[in-house]
Amino acid sequence: MEARLLIMGVGNYLMGDEGVGVHAAQLLSRLSLPPGVDVVDGGTGGFHLLEYFEKYPRVILIDATLDGNKAGSIRLIRPRFAADFPKSMSTHDIGLKDMMSSLQLLGKIPDIHLFVVSIEFIQQQGVELTDEVEAAMPELLQQVTALTDKLVFPSEPVTN
Amino acid sequence: MSTRIVVDPVTRIEGHLRIEADIENGKIKDAYSSGTMVRLLEEILRGRDPLDAWAYVGRVCGVCTSVHSLTSVRAVEDALDIVIPPNAEMVRNIMFCAQYMHDHVVHFYHLHAMDWVDVVNALKADPKKTSELAQSISNWPKSSPGYFSDLQKRITKFVESGQLGIFSNGYWGHPAYKLPAEVNLIGLAHYLEALEWQKEIVKVHTIFGGKNPHPNYLVGGMACAISTDDVSGLNAERLAYVEQLLKQGKEFIEQVYIPDLMAIASFYKDWGAIGGGLGSFMAYGDLPWNGYRDISSYKFPQGVILNKDISKVYDVDLRKDDEVQEFIDNSWYEYKGKGGLHPWKGESKIKYTGPKPPFENLDTSKAYSYLKTPRWKGNAVEVGPLARVLVGYARGREDFKMVVDKALKDLDVPVTALFSTLGRTAARGLESVLVAQWGLDFFYQLIDNIKKGDTRMADSSKRSSSKWPEKALGVGHSEAPRGALAHWINIEDEKIANYQLVVPTTWNASPRDAKGQVSAYEAALRDTPIADPKQPVEILRTVHSFDPCLACAVHLYDEEGKHISRISVLGD
Repeated sequence: MEARLLIMGVGNYLMGDEGVGVHAAQLLSRLSLPPGVDVVDGGTGGFHLLEYFEKYPRVILIDATLDGNKAGSIRLIRPRFAADFPKSMSTHDIGLKDMMSSLQLLGKIPDIHLFVVSIEFIQQQGVELTDEVEAAMPELLQQVTALTDKLVFPSEPVTN
Repeated sequence: MSTRIVVDPVTRIEGHLRIEADIENGKIKDAYSSGTMVRLLEEILRGRDPLDAWAYVGRVCGVCTSVHSLTSVRAVEDALDIVIPPNAEMVRNIMFCAQYMHDHVVHFYHLHAMDWVDVVNALKADPKKTSELAQSISNWPKSSPGYFSDLQKRITKFVESGQLGIFSNGYWGHPAYKLPAEVNLIGLAHYLEALEWQKEIVKVHTIFGGKNPHPNYLVGGMACAISTDDVSGLNAERLAYVEQLLKQGKEFIEQVYIPDLMAIASFYKDWGAIGGGLGSFMAYGDLPWNGYRDISSYKFPQGVILNKDISKVYDVDLRKDDEVQEFIDNSWYEYKGKGGLHPWKGESKIKYTGPKPPFENLDTSKAYSYLKTPRWKGNAVEVGPLARVLVGYARGREDFKMVVDKALKDLDVPVTALFSTLGRTAARGLESVLVAQWGLDFFYQLIDNIKKGDTRMADSSKRSSSKWPEKALGVGHSEAPRGALAHWINIEDEKIANYQLVVPTTWNASPRDAKGQVSAYEAALRDTPIADPKQPVEILRTVHSFDPCLACAVHLYDEEGKHISRISVLGD
């Protein structure tokens, strides 16, 4: 079957809340999702991720952000250019932003829905999330799966 | 009176680095290299299962994820006395070669080329002349006037829309840019082609490592089972695909990367006398043909060169207490005792004494970096492509001599030009040519072995910790694209008791030692001419020639993701 939608979580798994996208991807990959939906743990992939973004017309991206909001806040952004990505997008933002610019130059930027989860600081070491960010995980997964359903089955009535 | 300029961050990708340079009479008088944030991988690994260490270290950075995993499994195999089967060695080597090809091409086009290629000037190029030039230096098919003219139109659109994206960090129009518009346009065209190409070569990692990014490694061998009929295993079709990818990679390096490198270098020969730095080099060696333990079989030979004297190459022993040591005299750490520590005795306790951020300048008379200062027998050494190429050359290896002598002849520069910023950048290209061929050699060796009926991919006899000694020490080394990399592990009671990484960028970017000896970056920056302190593109050229990547050494967060350069006047 032709792949239609990619869900990708990015971040650094070794830096606490910074890795929230990776934690989310690992949880999502265990769920039963509609056919044609793939989940990828993008880690700190940078340019290595280019192929995924070229291959899928639609991508749901999950990442951490230092936007000053309360830790665990979730926002949905619709970036069309690299410049639309929030400025303080965690520690791997340069790689990801560069990759977005590249896609833009190649004229291959997919339709992106970006979930950003606010974190407080990034100097944490370790593979555990803080309580605040951990507590946001069920809501994050709910929002991601709801959006997935909405994108995969656009004709069905949407309740949210 | 000298002017101090600050470039922060210097890196274009993962990980960050700050350079403070004092400029006097249009030249750098002294420079300070600082890693300004820390990542304590050592703490994360303590108490974990040694068999899992590769998965954690592979997460340290997205750029050279697989080399850390490789080095880690080698360290554990060393500690537990495991010899991996030949097939696993070949698969690791093939993945390693693919990593090199990917890394070096991405570095050249996406992280370094813009220090030499003026993107905005490329828009003034004559597409017809560009086409003639491109065809005169290479047989690469994408070289018609129409191709270059279409590309120009596309880029012009971006520039006019103010959406310069990745190109917004450049010092366009700076007098230090010397290329004709046509060469700039070729560089820009291949910037884009390299983007498309790089996503192909990494598929080698997906095939052997199961996934990408962060492919799977395994203590004892590799996790990809050879199977001639199973569709999900390493079957004939997948192997044929690997061969195709390696061939395409070799073609890109030979027909695009090298001709571009030589064309660009021919306009910057003055950089063959700038940025030389230490003149002392070290390589641990890598790419074993006959097993990791047989150092004589390495494609990249091991050795140390001191003070530009290539008539003598010293051997390196990573186990000896007095060879590789890390010092902290100018670093934000504290040791229980004094002096340098061999990594098996290594400590990683942070003691930050720098200014409270945000700050204008670091106080470089005190500790000024989160990087420790590694030394080989007390010597500061440079690691990386130039070190590898020089060690290969000095060891008298014909393959190294051939590519190096040809490049020197084509550029019409003396052998001393190797000790420079240009030499470093050229060495990266030259070793890519060698690696591209070796990748295929390893591939055919693997196929040959499989055809002989050997399908072993892992030695699982030590998977159970009941067979381990109570205490074990191990060291694993590799030649990461950025240079000599090693992990030292202490295993006690089946767990990691200590784990120390000494990474290439720490060798090169570290602060000075107690004797005042500078490391490679600081040495290379001295005497570099700076035409305009407000636009210090010359600093970027030399620092980028090392391919800095501090993700695994330290980590700094920066809000804008831009090169920030600031100028202040110092009192003395």
